[in-house]
Amino acid sequence: MQIVLEKDVVVGDVVKVLQNGGLVIYPTETLYGAGVDATNEKAVKKLNLFKKRPAGKPYSIAVTDIGMARKFAVINSSAVKMYKTFLPGPVTIISNGRHILAKGVESERGTLGVRIPDYKLIIKIINNFNKPITATSANASYKKSPYNISDIFDNLSDKQKTLIDYVIDGGELPHREPSTVVDTTYEDISILRQGNVKLVKGNKVLSVSPDNTEDIAKNILQKYETYFGNRAIIFALKGDMGVGKTIFTKGLAKTLGITQTVTSPTFNLINSYSVNSPVKKLTHIDVWRIRSVDELWDINLVKEISDKSIVSIEWADKISDVIRKYHEEAIIIWVKIRFGKKENDRIISWGVSK
Amino acid sequence: MTQKIHKTGPIILSVDTSCDETSVSVTSGLTVLSNIVWSQSNTHAKFGGVVPNEARREHERKIDWVLKRALFYAKIQGNDLDAVSVTVGPGLAIALGVGINFAKELAGNYSKPLIAVNHLEGHLLSPLARAKNFQFPISNFQFKNKREETFSYQPPTSNNQPLTFPAFGIVVSGGNTLLVLIEKIGKYKILAQTIDDALGESLDKSARLLGLGYPGGAILEIFARKGNSKKYPLPLPMLGRENEGFYSYSGIKTAFSRMVNKLLTGCEQLDKQQIYDLAASYQHTAFEHFIRVTRKTISATIPIYNIQNTTYLFVGGGVAANADFRRRIRMMCKQLDFTPLFPYTKKLYGDNAAMIGAAAYFKYLKKDFIDPKKIDRIPDLKIGNAVRV
Repeated sequence: MQIVLEKDVVVGDVVKVLQNGGLVIYPTETLYGAGVDATNEKAVKKLNLFKKRPAGKPYSIAVTDIGMARKFAVINSSAVKMYKTFLPGPVTIISNGRHILAKGVESERGTLGVRIPDYKLIIKIINNFNKPITATSANASYKKSPYNISDIFDNLSDKQKTLIDYVIDGGELPHREPSTVVDTTYEDISILRQGNVKLVKGNKVLSVSPDNTEDIAKNILQKYETYFGNRAIIFALKGDMGVGKTIFTKGLAKTLGITQTVTSPTFNLINSYSVNSPVKKLTHIDVWRIRSVDELWDINLVKEISDKSIVSIEWADKISDVIRKYHEEAIIIWVKIRFGKKENDRIISWGVSK
Repeated sequence: MTQKIHKTGPIILSVDTSCDETSVSVTSGLTVLSNIVWSQSNTHAKFGGVVPNEARREHERKIDWVLKRALFYAKIQGNDLDAVSVTVGPGLAIALGVGINFAKELAGNYSKPLIAVNHLEGHLLSPLARAKNFQFPISNFQFKNKREETFSYQPPTSNNQPLTFPAFGIVVSGGNTLLVLIEKIGKYKILAQTIDDALGESLDKSARLLGLGYPGGAILEIFARKGNSKKYPLPLPMLGRENEGFYSYSGIKTAFSRMVNKLLTGCEQLDKQQIYDLAASYQHTAFEHFIRVTRKTISATIPIYNIQNTTYLFVGGGVAANADFRRRIRMMCKQLDFTPLFPYTKKLYGDNAAMIGAAAYFKYLKKDFIDPKKIDRIPDLKIGNAVRV
């Protein structure tokens, strides 16, 4: 095994390793990835051993551009839009595969995840290699996300280490989330995993004051009035500290006729307010202080959903996987609030995830 | 063995598990015989925040150990107890449940009455808790318990004056920012409270914006000492509206976040002095706002309630452990001609069970016990009604 600093990497050397069925650890704009020739069955088997991955779990591939992607996947019109908007970048787009890659790369239903890393060196390597490589995180399944080389090595057995042929050491990567995975094989674009890029089918509005933000919250809530008392409505709020997530929730509370002061639930994590209408209560949750998703939130959300509550969750991006599980039982409205140009300007975008 | 017990009042074992800390204490009257606090901040530091489930597991794992130590240091056995008290709220529901179940079981095992205590009242009355070696002078404040034993309690004033009511009280912690009127012990009116973030939360969040970790309020205090509080002026919240009975910390948080981000454009990270100055500026503004609203509200309340005698200000909660905060409170009290009452030891500022014991003592005197079948957690428990002055 060779470990080479990124600046010292000779592209030809890496290509040779790949051609010989070798396993390369490489940096990307999200995590460290594990790459093998995606057309080489033996190499993919080796990757399975390295990842300790149960058979049947597919791998995404990394390509240089949409042209290369078309050789291996059927890119439909909604996929084209996605490629144009988000690639290269931290998004994996799932299309139907052409079934010409090594066994185990495509999923059992024949779909293929494609990604174009926003990382010049990697694009250069794939370009010279002229074949797609696997794009999977360089950790064994269920182990820590790798942001530096020791994250990977600390969690590997000696046997796993022997499977690695070449390591491109790009140092400590910025701690970004794994890529967002978007499935374009159905009519509707569905989000499987929410990463750094949030997708909202919906609207974008400008708020110029806190009062304005409260009104916008009111307008959005009123659009879903027909569901009051029949279905839980979850407002999954995302935005930097101080951007106005609590203000937005205050707007929801006012709309529901709550006269109590809505204060930040940061310390207690949950504040509930009873409501005198088809909706019985507003539950205000703040997961800022939480770092790991655990079953507690499952339990409480299940209760809120069966109570048909209106739930506002601040820092929802931290538990987006948990929230997304309830997309059938509840209406989930993702709201993203960003700072605008002027001091009180806020850009509020929102949409329902399916 | 009973003769060895330092008995200055009913012996109460108290349990507090309202959030991060697991605490058990033994008090005799207002005297703290033991006050064991197991903090989970080490566990949480690893995660950068409270993990609720982890919190419950930690409470469950530690509580027996904490109890044993509390009894050991107090030189008390279960049978010596007169009552068991426990925090029922406000707090993290899942954590409160652990303490309540534990206390219920203890009270049942020893057949002792159970007392439900409001965590906020604990903070508020924490200045009344006394150290073991404190000599009780003869007092006109005397109480009789159900066995007709006479107990007295003396206010913690240096000049041996008895406490007078009404008094004022503030509770400043991670989850609360309150100014209350204490008509008498057990009867409170909320004069001012936060409309968004709590003061402690605001300090923790500003520390996080500076990259100082969690919980950052205590680190912010240390850094602020080295900084210039005038270097980065921040807008004072509710300026000119200090008489409305509200504290507000969300606007200053937003302004601070913008300021930090602006300083970060064009450079990779803040230098040390910048962090010191920013910490000092934030803390200054946050405290200044608190003092302004508190002073104004108190001044408006005095004539309404015709308060004339010596007036005491009870001060409790984790933020009051900040030396600069206490300095400002003392200055304010000087202007108002008030006497501030602070807890006698640092341990009583943060969450702890001895303050619950102090509050439980007064309930014990009134025989305010709760049926163990009926006790339940109240995560959003209030301390009194809000009044507008």
